[in-house]
Amino acid sequence: MKTRYVVAAVALLAVVPWILDNRYFFHIATMATIMIPMATSMNLMLKIGQLPLSHGAFMGLGSYGAALLTMRLGVPPVLSLLAGGLIAAAIAGMFGPIFLRIKGTYFVLLTFAFGEIVNLIMQDWISLTGGNSGLYGIPKFAILGFRLTAIRDYYAMGLVFTALSFGLLWAIERSDIGAIFQSINENEMVTRSLGGNAMAWRVAAFVLSSFIAGIAGGVYAFYIGLLTPDAFGMRTIVDLIVMNTIGGPASIVGPMLGAILIVPLPELLREARQYQLLIYGISLGVFLIFFRQGLVGLLRLDKPGDKT
Amino acid sequence: MLSQIIVNGLLAGLVYTIMALGFTLVFGIMRVVNFAHGEFYMAGAMAVLLFYGHLGWPFFAAVAAGGVVSALIGLVVERALLRPLLKEEMPGMIMTLAVAITMQSAALLIVGPSEQGIPRPFGGTWMLLDARVPWDRTVVALCALVIITAFYGFLKFTPVGLAMQAVAQDRETASLMGIESKRIYVVAFGLSCLLAGLAGALMAPIYPIGPYMGEIVIIKAFVIVILGGLGSVPGAMLGGLLIGLCESAVATMFNPTAALIASFGIVLGIIIFRPTGLMGRAVR
Repeated sequence: MKTRYVVAAVALLAVVPWILDNRYFFHIATMATIMIPMATSMNLMLKIGQLPLSHGAFMGLGSYGAALLTMRLGVPPVLSLLAGGLIAAAIAGMFGPIFLRIKGTYFVLLTFAFGEIVNLIMQDWISLTGGNSGLYGIPKFAILGFRLTAIRDYYAMGLVFTALSFGLLWAIERSDIGAIFQSINENEMVTRSLGGNAMAWRVAAFVLSSFIAGIAGGVYAFYIGLLTPDAFGMRTIVDLIVMNTIGGPASIVGPMLGAILIVPLPELLREARQYQLLIYGISLGVFLIFFRQGLVGLLRLDKPGDKT
Repeated sequence: MLSQIIVNGLLAGLVYTIMALGFTLVFGIMRVVNFAHGEFYMAGAMAVLLFYGHLGWPFFAAVAAGGVVSALIGLVVERALLRPLLKEEMPGMIMTLAVAITMQSAALLIVGPSEQGIPRPFGGTWMLLDARVPWDRTVVALCALVIITAFYGFLKFTPVGLAMQAVAQDRETASLMGIESKRIYVVAFGLSCLLAGLAGALMAPIYPIGPYMGEIVIIKAFVIVILGGLGSVPGAMLGGLLIGLCESAVATMFNPTAALIASFGIVLGIIIFRPTGLMGRAVR
């Protein structure tokens, strides 16, 4: 099946909340527009063979960054949102060369420790972040004098963000840069012998992926209006990994489908919340052993690199 | 003050060392990052909660049972879930993450979210120079020393231990010498889970027991193995003691979060100046 048909189907699906015009449905759809960029930007790192367990932490940095800039310094929300992404990108650019210095496993261990430490700081630096009781009173988002108050406004904002980030990541996947990323993962020596600076490309991927996570955090902050550190911890990372694994990590369409499938689950499983992680754990295992290519494989979507 | 910091650091460091040893063993031999390592620690502590806390077994019998329970779970996990994914780094890693969340939520369903304590088997303190040392921690440290020595002896002097080292060094050459790497994987993973289970069982009377107790321990194990060099057994021992001391010093002066940040800072410094860790070998 052609990937673009699936993308078109998802685009049609995006209209459904307006047709149903149901508050609850809008909420799920808005969360999906935040989690799709998160899952697809994590996918960028998976493509170069790295699992960024810091992804939730970068979302949190963008989230607290944007919220605090507007709350404490009165920065206009649009600029705060952008600044949140830039803060995440700058920190990724600073740590990236160290995390990525040694190929393979070190990255995952270091980003795990980094993520946990960022989360502990969010919990402990109460005067700045409000700690575990939360950061309250984040003002509504405003752009060009228009204040976003209704939930459908935030859904529109999330859609714009999802469309932009998906467009960018999809373009990268299909471009020469996507081919470079794939070759870094498959055979770094060949890439380097052909003149590719593997390290620089890896850091670039980490910075871009963290930037998108930071912006996603900002959108989340202005939409939800209340931040707690647990929203950016290991639970979120597990969600993102489930989205990528079930959707199929080979193509960016995979994590998008995964996010659309997974985001409504906590709402549907509200009665059985304690079983949610158990279901995640078991379904991860099943997909890893039996359906390694995820939904993308099951639907036989064409993968980047296939000639069609 | 100083001697108290050193004593506390060594007491904590010995338990960290056991955790780090098991983690680094599995990585060195199987090239698997075991994210569930903290959950095997939790399983050991849960077993002590059951056998010692509820059924009234003698403490050391319960500790041994904790290690065995954890090792048995480990053997099943290795055979059923990790074996199909060998040689594939990313899926293997995600699988251990899946094992971790499954074990956590299983524990949550069985014992509930609240943390529980068990009566301390040893009370009181004694003085070492001007440091006050609790007896229960002393017992843990002595057991840890015995376990570490036994593990080291096993690795250095038994045929299986030597075979494990051979597989860690070069899987293909080892198989030419007649060492079947799959059987070594079983032993390595089971042993690693045994160590984690024993560590959790020993710590059960000291820290509250709950489904999430493995999370903070595994970060420390990660930091230690990177500091010591991934896959290096002496590195894990050295790293464990160093991180224990560093943490004890910073936690005494500031707080535990600052201690964790400090040890992470040290690790980043090590990576910049000595990428393979203190005792690691060059990455091929």
